[in-house]
Amino acid sequence: MTGRYGIEALNVYAGLAHIPVPALFAGRGLDPARLDNLMMRSRSVGLPFEDPVTNAVNAAGPLLDALGPGGRDGIELLVTSTESGLDLSKSVASYVHEYLGLSRNCRLLEVKQACYAATGAIQLATGYLASGASPGARALVIGTDLALVDARAGYAEPATGHGAVAVLVGDRPAVLAIDAGAFGVYSYETLDSARPTPELDIADVDRSLFAYLDCLSGSFADYRSRVADADFLATFGYLAMHTPFAGLVRAAHRKLAREHAARVATEPDFEYRVAPSLIYPAAVGNLCSGSVYLALASLLDHADLAAPARIGLYAYGSGCSSEFFSGVADAGSAAAVAAMGIGAHLAARRELSFAEYVRLLPVTLRALVPEPDRTVDLAPYQDFRQPDRRLLVHTGSKQYHRLYEWR
Amino acid sequence: MTATARAEVLATVRAVVADILPGLSPADIAEHRHLADLGADSVDRVEIIIGLLHRLGLREPMSSFSSPPNVGALVDLLVAKGAALPGGGR
Repeated sequence: MTGRYGIEALNVYAGLAHIPVPALFAGRGLDPARLDNLMMRSRSVGLPFEDPVTNAVNAAGPLLDALGPGGRDGIELLVTSTESGLDLSKSVASYVHEYLGLSRNCRLLEVKQACYAATGAIQLATGYLASGASPGARALVIGTDLALVDARAGYAEPATGHGAVAVLVGDRPAVLAIDAGAFGVYSYETLDSARPTPELDIADVDRSLFAYLDCLSGSFADYRSRVADADFLATFGYLAMHTPFAGLVRAAHRKLAREHAARVATEPDFEYRVAPSLIYPAAVGNLCSGSVYLALASLLDHADLAAPARIGLYAYGSGCSSEFFSGVADAGSAAAVAAMGIGAHLAARRELSFAEYVRLLPVTLRALVPEPDRTVDLAPYQDFRQPDRRLLVHTGSKQYHRLYEWR
Repeated sequence: MTATARAEVLATVRAVVADILPGLSPADIAEHRHLADLGADSVDRVEIIIGLLHRLGLREPMSSFSSPPNVGALVDLLVAKGAALPGGGR
């Protein structure tokens, strides 16, 4: 590895259920001609015993188990990044800290900047660790969210996912050595999508897609202004981007190629440098701020990394803020991510029929609505359990205190 | 801006839209219609705006084109951004 700080470990939890996108299209009466541009195969669907806390804990748990005895104690910063907050004051991180069994000598924070926030947290954490304030310390950043979409969301419904991505940051960057000082940012105020209430997502599709693409050009230009000789074709062996839906990433690649590599054959370049990053996102849906790291996991599980490669990463969050940055991965990166078995866990999700999916919505759409007392009946969902996995489940709340159990 | 210049921008819009939506002829692309009504999905609309900025030589954020209500308004917006000027908006 060429850098001293970066991603030590990476894992994904994308739920226990999914619905194939063609089935959702058929159930909603959406136009199947649009499947080609959407480029989505399936989407993860939340169950009533899952929430941003369980998703985060179930993503991070295997990473921490792999650290071995004492490994948890080296984590001195826990950040949950979410647009699915459970309380205006108490953070998701406070529950996650408890159920991950982290040290009491640990900073806890929750951050919000739509789908960008996890990247902002990782960059701030990397800078903090590199400051030398606490040599050898690690930071755990978890992007965790759930979906609040139904028929009202139109073509966004088949592209919205459910789950979390856990990223362990430190000075042993086995997954991605982040290039220090190599970044570009681009932000401005817009209302392209938002979650104004705990039950409602709103989106202006064109405004959001255009902002994503303007920010890609703007953040890449800023990156080039900071990194001498950075070149869209020559510098990056692969690209991984925030993926609201895979078809947008194809359009984004085409736009950057047009702006910076007019003579390249766009489609073969996309297939080689970008398509491996879209396999998991196309099977899961948009994971909000975890999405770019789901794309990174997909890339590391599917690209050829026999030789070290620099990866360009692009994070975008509505509202809006964005960053293009880079890091170096190698065969060890692929091995580290492969050990998490992400693809096998995605394949083990139970497929829902459209009728089953619709029956879940009245409960799951209210997952973020505060209720002082609630009991989650786990009995109807026994057949979603995977006996070989010990997972945290949400069992209810008592005087607003949320309750969880290991099952 | 002359009527001729606006007509040229409209012709460019029709050509780019017809290029992205092969089932349409330029004559189908009436000024009162919205791109979505013509069958352009969100990715098609991205490609149409990128194609127009490129063809017209405009350096303008895509977000400037987030909400024109129809083809005619899109043409007016492109003209306002300099599309009808010699050399486009460069």
